[in-house]
Amino acid sequence: MLAKGFSEPTERVKRLKKAIVDATPYVESERAVLVTESYKETEGLSPIMRRAKAAEKIFNNLPITIHEDELVVGSITKNLRSTEICPEFSYDWVEKEFDTMGTRLADPFQIPKETAAELHEAFKYWEGKTTSALAESYMSQETKDCIANGVFTVGNYFYGGVGHVCVDYGKVLRIGFTGIIKQVIEAMTKLDTSDPEYIKKKNFYEALVITYSAAINFAHRYAAKARELAAVCPDPVRKAELVQIAANCDRVPEHGATNFYEACQAFWFVQIMLQIEANGHSISPGRFDQYMYPFLKADTNISREFAQELVDCIWVKLNDVNKTRDEISAQAFAGYAVFQNLIVGGQTEDGLDATNDVSYMCMEAVAHVRLPAPSFSIRVHQNTPDEFLYRACEVTRLGLGVPAMYNDEVIIPALCNRGVSLADARSYCIIGCVEPQCPHKTEGWHDAAFFNIAKVLEITLNNGKVGDKQLGPVTGDMTSFTCLEDIFAAYKKQMEYFVYHLAEADNCVDFAHAERAPLPFLSALVDDCIGRGKSVQEGGAIYNFTGPQAFGVADSGDSLCAIKKHVFESKEVTMAQLKEAMAHNFGYSCTASAPAAQTADCSDESKIYEAIKRILSNNGSINLAELQNELSTPSTTTCAAQPACSNADYAQIKRIMENTPWFGNDEDEVDMIARRCGQIYSYEVEKYKNPRGGQFQAGCYPVSANVLFGKDVAALPDGRLAKAPLADGVSPRQGMDTKGPTAAAMSVAKLDHANYSNGTLYNQKFLPSALAGDEGLMRFASVVRSYFDHKGMHVQFNVIDKATLIAAQQNPEQYKDLVVRVAGYSAQFTVLAKEVQDDIISRTEQSF
Amino acid sequence: MDSINYNLSGTVFDIQRFSLHDGPGIRTIVFLKGCALSCQWCSNPESQKTKPVVMYKQADCLHCGRCMTACKLGAISPNNKHWIDRSICTGCGECVNACPAGALVLKGKTMTVQQVIQELKKDATTYRRSGGGVTLSGGEPLMQSAFAAELLKACKGQGWNTAIETTGLGTAEAIETVIPYVDTVLLDIKHIDPEQHRKYTGSTNEVILKNAVRISQISNTVVRVPVIPGFNFSVEAIQKIAEYAKTLMGVRTIHLLPYHTFGENKYDLLGKEYLLKDVKPLHPEDLAACKQAVESYGFQCVIGG
Repeated sequence: MLAKGFSEPTERVKRLKKAIVDATPYVESERAVLVTESYKETEGLSPIMRRAKAAEKIFNNLPITIHEDELVVGSITKNLRSTEICPEFSYDWVEKEFDTMGTRLADPFQIPKETAAELHEAFKYWEGKTTSALAESYMSQETKDCIANGVFTVGNYFYGGVGHVCVDYGKVLRIGFTGIIKQVIEAMTKLDTSDPEYIKKKNFYEALVITYSAAINFAHRYAAKARELAAVCPDPVRKAELVQIAANCDRVPEHGATNFYEACQAFWFVQIMLQIEANGHSISPGRFDQYMYPFLKADTNISREFAQELVDCIWVKLNDVNKTRDEISAQAFAGYAVFQNLIVGGQTEDGLDATNDVSYMCMEAVAHVRLPAPSFSIRVHQNTPDEFLYRACEVTRLGLGVPAMYNDEVIIPALCNRGVSLADARSYCIIGCVEPQCPHKTEGWHDAAFFNIAKVLEITLNNGKVGDKQLGPVTGDMTSFTCLEDIFAAYKKQMEYFVYHLAEADNCVDFAHAERAPLPFLSALVDDCIGRGKSVQEGGAIYNFTGPQAFGVADSGDSLCAIKKHVFESKEVTMAQLKEAMAHNFGYSCTASAPAAQTADCSDESKIYEAIKRILSNNGSINLAELQNELSTPSTTTCAAQPACSNADYAQIKRIMENTPWFGNDEDEVDMIARRCGQIYSYEVEKYKNPRGGQFQAGCYPVSANVLFGKDVAALPDGRLAKAPLADGVSPRQGMDTKGPTAAAMSVAKLDHANYSNGTLYNQKFLPSALAGDEGLMRFASVVRSYFDHKGMHVQFNVIDKATLIAAQQNPEQYKDLVVRVAGYSAQFTVLAKEVQDDIISRTEQSF
Repeated sequence: MDSINYNLSGTVFDIQRFSLHDGPGIRTIVFLKGCALSCQWCSNPESQKTKPVVMYKQADCLHCGRCMTACKLGAISPNNKHWIDRSICTGCGECVNACPAGALVLKGKTMTVQQVIQELKKDATTYRRSGGGVTLSGGEPLMQSAFAAELLKACKGQGWNTAIETTGLGTAEAIETVIPYVDTVLLDIKHIDPEQHRKYTGSTNEVILKNAVRISQISNTVVRVPVIPGFNFSVEAIQKIAEYAKTLMGVRTIHLLPYHTFGENKYDLLGKEYLLKDVKPLHPEDLAACKQAVESYGFQCVIGG
């Protein structure tokens, strides 16, 4: 049998998980208060030294929390799944939401009165002193206009820390923090005192020593706390565990780990210390199986069961980390996502298969814990063992939406093309959602922006205008275009303008981080900051990138193909007619009417709320694509319910435009247009440089921003109504890939993924029946292999559940891609009679 | 290898990728027009006629009237019960070309071997990765035997695995032309009783049973039984089929395909009546006893193919 099944987790792991699932997220104030006190005390010092002093104060004073049943300890907050605040990046949105964050629909956090009071007091200090205030002061009015009109957003790093990094966990496991301090001191003693940068470098090194000494103390405080608890613990078994925990925290991360348990504890301390120092999300453990395996292999005393339990404990702990965002961002990232990406498999730096025991233990941990974190990924290459891929497919069948699968054969050359060495490229891991980087050598700035290329198309067709405002250059009225090349020429000019301002916006934020938030703890764990004597934020990393990601590729391709076919070729519609129809949203109410828009928003929110409620009741498993499905329904229910006026002509034009090949069906006619739209963006992006000395590189993935930012886009030529969601990542527009998963995958693979070296995201849906049995596993693996043979970069799978099928019954237009296969016959789910659908629904989820 | 006539054309009504139950691995099915049977449960009623047919999706219709102007035979009128008068329509497709909304769909397209191969190539990697290939289905592929044979030869020329789904009803010549190029024949044997067979499929089964013997001599053959309540959904009927399959050369596997109603909505689109309206679909567990009966004859039995 190919399918091996999964064992049950231990009772302890079940209890730990239950505590996480049952927890109410709180906002806590300790860190904000401590950092503010520290900053008041250090006004005369350099930025890096102020950060070191702040870290020192936090590590020495943050409350120490050891929860029941824990074997691996260390918490950022006193309460489970709660969050500290980092006012040094931005704070005003927290202040604004003091009263509402506990009740808002997307990702609520409780803020007790006394916490709010303490935060309010701390925030007073920060006016004008944050990174966001500095970044804003740098930005031009034109750039701010682009942001205000929804062309792009750089909100991620504007409001918070950068995060998005994988540090050298292995180094900590091997030499400990004392080893790092030793490296720092060696570098300091080697400094040439006549070097004009000597003073600055020396100051940097001193900041590192202060930070790491305090970090060691933080662990020792855990040791002391564990001993204290052990002394009064009536249960001899737990008492022994606590004594062991104390011994572990005495030893690591101060020193290198001597066994697998210590390695787990040391790993965890690094993971939380990074997130205590700053609040950037996507702090990604990366290649956990690679740096942990040597410790498992050398540990002759540990049982396989206990080692698995420790890995499971780490899995649960990763779900303890939580971050709050402003309400709008919380909608975009709904589901308390913090994107700690952990990846297994792949290659060694000399190109051999790197799969090991820990790779498989991680898959087991996913099945044991079944919570949203970590964002679990696997690497696949030509020599990946089939057994490994089958096992990953078995994990996928659990329906958690993981693992995400990455193609070494595209990513490695893509990174090499950006100047990463072959050995470093082979060592890549994934950050956040889908972004590849060489671990602990890269400041990738991966989530630098969301850039809406569908919005740029809308602006192109409006001669540079958004509404009445001339936002971009004048490139010609759409009625003056007589062929596709005319449109492309205008589109390219608009793209040049907006990407220029995107780069400006990102670089403003980049400068602000370098000047106000250089991070000493992080910097010692990223090469070659110690060698170069400067922080990650100031260009200390070996590889520096800025990665803004686009969405709306399929929408642009579909739209231009529709124009080509129906306006330029068959001439069924004139440009003037199309222009007018789009201006009237094809006769449907929505565009200009505020009440209608409001309804859509309300409805969106309640959907988000319902989705989250369900996620939590299902023990927290997040399925992003599914969430998007839920978010995307209102646009049709509210926007497309009834044409507002009786002007059937507009509706007829809509239907004509829709009767076009859609991206996602393996038809070159449209796929090549979509490919070109994406390339126009990515080639423009890669022209720019960032202040750290690195290059801009495009990505193509939206998280769930395609839903939120779809609201900013007017009607498109492919018949998409104003405010409706855009396509997700490189995926086809929802429901438009009707020729089955292989055709959709081949279309997606045509987008020149290696060019999107900041990552692409492709979600694919399967009915459970297509994956059933050992044959299903083999088929599934071959779909992955084929997509990767065609140079796809990333794919993750959602196994359709009953709820999705019920949604498909209600909104058939959006689910035309659900295909039911039986012998000698196939059907789109949505065209089947209601009773037949009901029958399929009642039988879904029992196929394995 | 024989020379292949890539310019030979046939009538194809669908090419379906990612097919999972029609031979090994992931396959693309080429559906060929025309069938000598007219089984009451047929899930591809658009396949039965040799000529192209027009399907009319009322829900997508804009009522713009372009099709009425386009039809030179006057077959389209709102006064017709199902929009198109099927007794006049020749399936020329002029109305389909005129329809801006895709409400009219022509089922049946003349394609050359070359054109079909072009489309099949799109999943060549998937065939290789999954151990899949190409399956000819229908309709009845033996009805277009010359085209089917050239197409299969061309598939073999690409190194692909080939399969065919057949009713077994065709001329001896058709069988000798087509079957040698097929790696796996999925051969329907629906009933052993000739009269019952005639009543539900429009034809008796003597030729089919005779052809089965020859087919199994030429190629690896799997016997398939669509299990239909009221027709052959009984252990006795299935046993008789298994007994017969025992006499065929090299047959080791029997597929039982539970009756489903996925094709029912197509009858509406074609303006046809579906005779099995009241028959409830079967599920794998309903066939447990039949499966056991098949296995007792020493066959491997797969439900659902």
